[in-house]
Amino acid sequence: MNPGLKLLLVMAIALEISFTQSLIVNVILICVSFIYILFNRVTFKALIGLIFWPLFPALGLFVSQWLYGSAGIHFAWILFTRIYAYVFLGATFTLTSSITDLALTLEQDFRLPSKFAYGVLAAFNLMPKINEEVQIIKTSALMRGEALHFWSPKLYFKAILSSIQWSQNLAEAMTSHGFVEDQGRTHYRVIKITAMDWVWFIGLFGIVQVLLFFIRY
Amino acid sequence: MTDVLIDHFTYEYPGSTVKVLNDVDVTFKHNHFSLLTGPSGSGKSTLLYFIAGLYPHFIGNDALGGIKFGDTDIKQIPSNEISHSVAMMFQNPNQQFAMDTVIHELTFVLENMLVEPAKMDGIINHALAFCGIKQLRSRVINTLSGGEKQRVALACIVAMDPPVIVLDEPFASIDPDSRLDLIKKLKQLQVEHGKTIILADHDLNDYKGVIDEFYYLDPDTHHISLLDSQSAQHFFDNFKNTQTINKQVAIPTEAAPSIINIKDFKLQPHHSLLLKLGDFKFCKEKTTLITGANGIGKSTLFNALTKLLPYDGEIDFAGKNIQKIRPLPYAKNVTLLFQDAENQFLNITVKEELDLSLKNRTNQAYSIDDVQTMLKELSIDGRDDQVVYSLSEGQKKKLQIIEMLIMNPPVLLMDEPFKGLDYHSLEVVVGFLNRSKQEFHQTQIIISHQLSGLDTLIDYHANFADQNLTYQEVIK
Repeated sequence: MNPGLKLLLVMAIALEISFTQSLIVNVILICVSFIYILFNRVTFKALIGLIFWPLFPALGLFVSQWLYGSAGIHFAWILFTRIYAYVFLGATFTLTSSITDLALTLEQDFRLPSKFAYGVLAAFNLMPKINEEVQIIKTSALMRGEALHFWSPKLYFKAILSSIQWSQNLAEAMTSHGFVEDQGRTHYRVIKITAMDWVWFIGLFGIVQVLLFFIRY
Repeated sequence: MTDVLIDHFTYEYPGSTVKVLNDVDVTFKHNHFSLLTGPSGSGKSTLLYFIAGLYPHFIGNDALGGIKFGDTDIKQIPSNEISHSVAMMFQNPNQQFAMDTVIHELTFVLENMLVEPAKMDGIINHALAFCGIKQLRSRVINTLSGGEKQRVALACIVAMDPPVIVLDEPFASIDPDSRLDLIKKLKQLQVEHGKTIILADHDLNDYKGVIDEFYYLDPDTHHISLLDSQSAQHFFDNFKNTQTINKQVAIPTEAAPSIINIKDFKLQPHHSLLLKLGDFKFCKEKTTLITGANGIGKSTLFNALTKLLPYDGEIDFAGKNIQKIRPLPYAKNVTLLFQDAENQFLNITVKEELDLSLKNRTNQAYSIDDVQTMLKELSIDGRDDQVVYSLSEGQKKKLQIIEMLIMNPPVLLMDEPFKGLDYHSLEVVVGFLNRSKQEFHQTQIIISHQLSGLDTLIDYHANFADQNLTYQEVIK
């Protein structure tokens, strides 16, 4: 499915389940997403992470609602499954779509300014470097006798300083590679939203509406 | 004909009154390989950015005078066509790609240039083959080495196929084989494809016999002059001299007391082996110089010694495995003077920076008067309220060295500490370092390409080559 439409679908469904209260639909969404992810051959480690990490907020919500809330255990279960539904819905997108394809379709089909599409893409590709940079900032601060923690303003000041520098370098590099804002470009890989994409999008979204309408438990 | 004409070109940075380029009037000839040299920070990059059409757009203020490609003024070229006239290769291999993989970057470039999609495959194949990197086609750029990244950058330029190619110290962080190979490729582009090549570098290795013209940017007059072959030869010889000192040093004996011991050590970031050591020691209260080609792994070794990078094997400091020493005490004992001075700064003004070092130092070796004297000797006194990021590169380096000396760690690692310093400042700094060693018993390990002037400082010399580090008696 077209990554742009997929993202739209996932966000629409996530928004919807925030305002509806159906335990069974949440569970169905989790199961369907889970199966979809399995079919897309993700790593075992990623899968375990998906199940493990949301456990803390989900349990927290569950317990506080169950013990202190006024809406009862049913609502506590809805909150619990809702967290997992968000995570698995999100994973159907993040684990199976390439950010490059998303940028291409946002530029070509969703008419997003190319500056924005490629800027985000370039920034995304810089992520591993940002991690390294934070490590360097922390070590260098230690050498001057200061321990910087993730809440230290100085860490952010230095990180932002580096980011500004990098974004400037990146903008210069993109320009020197012929990129000019708001100018026409050709497309080696044309990504179109096909009729089939629309069928899936409308079909899946429709099914969720029907489920939410009929299953109120 | 695409001579690159620089016509009475004068430029000063915003908020500065110093003209980094003062009435520069030169012509880089069509189909020539021109080398532009001069000390770092003298304004070479600035001129190249203007030639590549990146400035004034990315800097804010314009220069006086003009730049022409043949008969066409650069200002007459619309912004979406400038890349058909000139392409640029940058110093930092890490920040010149927008896309994730090599093939995506190359298509991105061609799409920007409005090349028909049907023709792209042919162009890309040719560019990759020309640079000898067909096998890198689908690789993720972040996983490539510096040398590979610069080859990809060259492939992008080959695909763009502009008549003028400018390069800003493109080999500063890549290994010697890649450097030599890329210089040959550039020569081939000039001779076989009629390109005009303008390359800025302060490292003059491998250029003799390759370049056609030698230009020098004088840091005092801010003029650029074309040198005749005799003066050029003088520069080549001079450069060789800065890279040698006539000093025989001893090889540390078995009995010499050590402070850092390395055992069964393997350093292999990105799965390529950089260094393998069975048993190696750095001697206590001595200055050890590490030499070796660019990009071979010297800085990476420092990253391992400061626990910035994972490694296999064991590193001991004063008999204790460094993995078992807590980060803060370790960092105060084994401290790195970063190659990029800005990495060391945590505050905004010069005074705040110095105060931080005075506040956090572990001993009182240097008095307040000492600090003032040091500032004065390096002529950066009286700048208390200046923002450190607005200092010149040389001044940043000087401040960085003083604040790390104040910290007075038992072991000070220094990565190219003399880069950007003039010769007089270098001599002053060497004096400081000698005092630190003799009076305060500091152990110093230095990576430096600049060798002349260091005679009085160096006790031992370790050469980094062939994935090995060995003590040697001669320094070359």
